[in-house]
Amino acid sequence: MQQSSILLLFLFLMGIALIVFIYIFMSSKRADQGMSNPLKKRFWFFLILTIIMGIFASVTIPKSPYFAFADKTPAKVIHVAAMQFSFFLSEKAIDRDKPSGQKIELPANEVIEFRVTSFDVNHGFAIYDKSNRLITQTQAMPGYVNRLRYKFKEPGEYNILCLEYCGVAHQLMRSSFIVK
Amino acid sequence: MESIKLKKITSVWIIAVLTLFVASIVLGILMRLNQGGVLHQAPITFYSNMTIHGITMIGIWFVAGMAGINYLMERYVKTSYTANLIALILTVSGVLMLWAVTLIGKFHTAWTFLYPLPLRVMWAQWATPTFLVAMSILATGWLIWGISMMTQVLKVYSIPQVFAWQHFKKDPAVKTPPFILISMITLVGVVTCLLVAVLLMALYFAEYFSKGNFVNDALLMKNLTYFFGHTIANEMLYLGLAVIYELFSEVGGKPKWKTTWYVALAWNFTLIFILTAFFHHLYMDFVQPEGFQIAGQIASYLASLPAAAVTVFSVWVAVYRVKIKWTLTNLLFFVGVAGWVIGGFGAVIDATISNNIVLHNTQWVPAHFHTYNILGNVLFSLGFFYWFSIQFTDKRVSEKLSRLILSLLIIGGAGFLLAFYIGGADSIPRRFSNYPAEFTTARPLANIGAVFATVYLIPILILFYNISKRCLKILFSSS
Repeated sequence: MQQSSILLLFLFLMGIALIVFIYIFMSSKRADQGMSNPLKKRFWFFLILTIIMGIFASVTIPKSPYFAFADKTPAKVIHVAAMQFSFFLSEKAIDRDKPSGQKIELPANEVIEFRVTSFDVNHGFAIYDKSNRLITQTQAMPGYVNRLRYKFKEPGEYNILCLEYCGVAHQLMRSSFIVK
Repeated sequence: MESIKLKKITSVWIIAVLTLFVASIVLGILMRLNQGGVLHQAPITFYSNMTIHGITMIGIWFVAGMAGINYLMERYVKTSYTANLIALILTVSGVLMLWAVTLIGKFHTAWTFLYPLPLRVMWAQWATPTFLVAMSILATGWLIWGISMMTQVLKVYSIPQVFAWQHFKKDPAVKTPPFILISMITLVGVVTCLLVAVLLMALYFAEYFSKGNFVNDALLMKNLTYFFGHTIANEMLYLGLAVIYELFSEVGGKPKWKTTWYVALAWNFTLIFILTAFFHHLYMDFVQPEGFQIAGQIASYLASLPAAAVTVFSVWVAVYRVKIKWTLTNLLFFVGVAGWVIGGFGAVIDATISNNIVLHNTQWVPAHFHTYNILGNVLFSLGFFYWFSIQFTDKRVSEKLSRLILSLLIIGGAGFLLAFYIGGADSIPRRFSNYPAEFTTARPLANIGAVFATVYLIPILILFYNISKRCLKILFSSS
């Protein structure tokens, strides 16, 4: 799972940083002439860091959600309107004056496009899978429509939570849909 | 040399910051206990507390950095006591208004006050205009302070000299002290983001008073909000770094650090990157132009490179196999740099767009920014506070007590933060007053966080007593 890998990567990097800092701190107790050739070492440190970050950026940027299924035609388009403190989901465009939603069922292994907007303040539109893992998200912003594309592989019920703080009942703002 | 008035006003800043810090930590612990199900606050109380907790923390550590560089700047240029005093008066006024707005008026937009939330009144009618006035007062006071310091520096150093451009050539005639370079680079960023804050407030006022005739654009307002919010939260860290560049070697009994071509280059680049990194707050707004999103990731990565290669490496060179006189001051600085680096890892991971989609607005966010604050920037400023307070007394914190303070800060801080990181990896949302039952780890993690935050509070209280006592003496002494 992506989140577990992220946590492991972070703990690994933290471990390296701790070892380096503790080692350097301890070395000041057996002091002699200090670091030899620091300028050269600094150059290599900088170069290695730049290369690692360059590789990391070039691998991750193409995986950005803006490019996901960009060349595909979605099998279904779901309109989403967020309002304090509920979501409306519909296969038809949602009327701002009389917002209403419907029960949503989506096909598995097909590209789905969510067209997400808000009728009041900023909200989040975050999709959680059956094991309660955040799998994708976008923001619901007044005056704009964010298009989020995703292919659900597992059938089951998916929860939607608001992840952008929107007021006093923010923690209760939720919805769901079924993937068959 | 530092004037008596400057010593006294710096003492007032320190006491005010520490008092508000303790109060805000208590609010934070209450929030975690509420999320843990131990307390049962009404959501409106939780969110009002959350709002003032965030605003206060950002505000106090920003002014702590400003007060620090103002005090040390007097070594190089004459600073304006009047500007410092105006900033103090306006800060106290603004902060009192904000505490009233949130705790009495129940204003609860979170510290990011994303448009149009402040205008959808769900609290006392007076709270929204008072909030906007309070923010304008703070921005005005800090702008006056920042511009005043920049002006005073420019009376002694020319524009190329403050940015150390002459160091790109061999043997420059005028050498720019690193402290001046970093202070100036940071002040440019500070003034820029405060000007954006003024614009943001003007747009809010325009809509508030137009009675529906003028409506702002939500995407523009979000960009402006994060330009201000992200930048000020990062610049306050750099204010702390300016203090480290000035004091780290001095406290350790070593010669002062010098500006070299690579130090100059790194900090000039930092100014550019830090002003564009805020785009990473809008990754999940897919309508934002893709170029900005990619620029956000690249700028976030690049902002960390010069800082790491220059500042962190310089600290390592200054310590590695060098006999150093370790005191509480430089130990706080050293641990703070380590905390800053570790928080930086968490930040860079989150600033990667493909990770952000599963981390955005989860507890990973408070995890990383609390790391480089409570175990980074706060320690930089505490190091300065302690160093300042012992300048005028013979008494020092004993080695044993220093060890205890540092151990509790690290243990308390690490436990508190790990609960957030694990929560982030468990997809637990941030800014929830209570958690739905399906987040099975949310409650225990919140309670663990609260316990470790209490451990962190103990050394803060010790330092609060120790430093404030000395600062009060300075305040009421006649010399």
